[in-house]
Amino acid sequence: MTGIGTIALTRDVTVREARRKVRQVLLELTGDDLTATRVGSGVSALGRGLLRSGEAPVLQLDLEQRDGGSSVLVLTFRDSRPMEVPEALVAVLEHVTVGRTGAHWEARARVQLHGRSAVDERAVARVRALVQQKSRDELMDELQVKNRELQESFENLQRTTSAKERMESELNIGRDIQMRMLPMEFPAFPHRREFDVHATLHPAREVGGDFYDFFMIDEDRICFGIGDVSGKGVPSALFMAMTKTLIKSRASNDFSPASILTHVNDEMAENNESAMFVTIWLGILDLRSGEVTYTNAGHNPPYVRRSDGTLERLAKRHGPVVGAMEGMVYGEDTVGLVSGDAVLLYTDGVTEAMDPAQALYEERRLVGTLEAATAPAPEALVRATVDDVWRFQADAEQADDITVLALAYHGASEGETLQSFHLTVGADLDEIATVNSAFAEFADMHELPAKVRRSVSVVFDELLNNTISYGFKGRDDGEIAITVDLRPDRLAITLSDNGRPFNPFGTAAPDTGLSVEEREIGGLGVHLVRTMMDEVTYHRRTDRNVVILAKLLADEPADAS
Amino acid sequence: MDITTRTHDDVTLIGFSGNLDTNTSSDAEAAFTSVLDGGGQKVVVDFTALDYISSAGLRVLLATAKRLNGVGGTLRMFGLNETVEEVFEISGFSTIFSVFPDEAAALAGL
Repeated sequence: MTGIGTIALTRDVTVREARRKVRQVLLELTGDDLTATRVGSGVSALGRGLLRSGEAPVLQLDLEQRDGGSSVLVLTFRDSRPMEVPEALVAVLEHVTVGRTGAHWEARARVQLHGRSAVDERAVARVRALVQQKSRDELMDELQVKNRELQESFENLQRTTSAKERMESELNIGRDIQMRMLPMEFPAFPHRREFDVHATLHPAREVGGDFYDFFMIDEDRICFGIGDVSGKGVPSALFMAMTKTLIKSRASNDFSPASILTHVNDEMAENNESAMFVTIWLGILDLRSGEVTYTNAGHNPPYVRRSDGTLERLAKRHGPVVGAMEGMVYGEDTVGLVSGDAVLLYTDGVTEAMDPAQALYEERRLVGTLEAATAPAPEALVRATVDDVWRFQADAEQADDITVLALAYHGASEGETLQSFHLTVGADLDEIATVNSAFAEFADMHELPAKVRRSVSVVFDELLNNTISYGFKGRDDGEIAITVDLRPDRLAITLSDNGRPFNPFGTAAPDTGLSVEEREIGGLGVHLVRTMMDEVTYHRRTDRNVVILAKLLADEPADAS
Repeated sequence: MDITTRTHDDVTLIGFSGNLDTNTSSDAEAAFTSVLDGGGQKVVVDFTALDYISSAGLRVLLATAKRLNGVGGTLRMFGLNETVEEVFEISGFSTIFSVFPDEAAALAGL
């Protein structure tokens, strides 16, 4: 048997083509138009029948060369379904047999090729080409089919895309709610010397619900906490927003984290049909004593990093997750901080971050990072922690929100601030007059002693002159921020500028015992500042020079006269 | 800052009111230069109306004193408030400048 080709009988057009092709093959091989037309009609009739009843019928054409030189064209109709060949067709097609081969049903018709003694190779090649060649109709039909398929897959894509987009946009809304609820401006409390706080939240693509918060309850207490809501998307973002709002509202007149969370839990658990819950660690730091009172409701245990670099794990837990069950009563503990200590809070997005090999980051790595941290500043601690998680995670996908908060305690303040003077000026020598006249108004308004006011003015003139003359060479973006806090016993003065690093107190005091001829003026201004102020310190913070001064307001001893 | 200049015999009295600091020191310097360029050798500075002085002001006083020393002239001051006096103390200028309690004392013997 020599194979010629196969025609799928799946559509009207292909059945028509099968008829045409069979007819042409027979014409080519026999030149017998009558037989060709008759057999073609038979193919068409059976083909149309199969089109209705069959599943995926095909027509296969083969040539059978007999020893005697005569040849037979074998037409095999094949389908997975049983097929019947109408009696009327048998005569037309000649020698039709119907049977089953394996899983397929077959109808085989044998057409004797009269007139030609033998079919040579060239004839076989020609008829193969006839069968396999696609007609314009077939091509058009295929094109239409392809178009339709393309249209369908495009519509499917659109359907799935918009469903995906809907989900995506819901996740975006959730993330938006989540991020908008977080305090993100740092430094958060630039005028508080007793502490510094920094936090970050890196949302995962799908899971949302982490949060952090910090806010002053009153002049002496800051409340800070972290949490992780179960679930994802808008519901979890709303649950998080509700939790955060309830905590803040309760904390305004309740200084006990245990009491706050006990109340918040009851409110959250009531009507919580979604069965969501939130893990929370909540602390309140008393800025006068350095004592942190805290409650852990099912959250990862935070760490205290002491000023000497040692770590303490706040392992105590005081109750279950918040929102799950009404009537829970939470406990609380305290930990004392001294100047230089810091507390680090985090969510399980840190400890459960995965590397490309699916290994977990784990708490011990966090401990390693905190132990290795050289800078105790909250921003540096937060950054070191998150950076190490990124390094570990490498190109693996972030599976959960990663949230870290650090709060450092700098010791109690010298007293509460009664009034504050703030002014930010450009780095222009003319601005010194602006500063001093504004400060003179502030001093008059709050009845500062003239001597104090004048001393501060001299100091402003010296320091601003220094900074403006030397700190911003070739720059026009210079900016100097001045704060004067009036406290019961002192003026607390902060000057900060974005100039090049410069410590004005890094130079030696001038020799003030020299004669007129020997004296130079250099260094004298800073010497005046050092002497006229009671405390002077310089810090280089990130990209700013910060000079902190104090002028005591202690009553002058009564004049002897 | 206001600068007033008056003469008393061969003595020039220069009075400053307000602040002698970064932004006003060049005006003060111009006033001293003008007196010295005019041949003045006896200069008395009236600080009665001066609120405060910073090192920028001290630099002008020092330059004036050096120039007068060079020509055998005299620089005297009076009317310092406690802040100006403190600045003079801290800077050591109270020992190198002739400071008097008032105008009469400053002019006496010149």
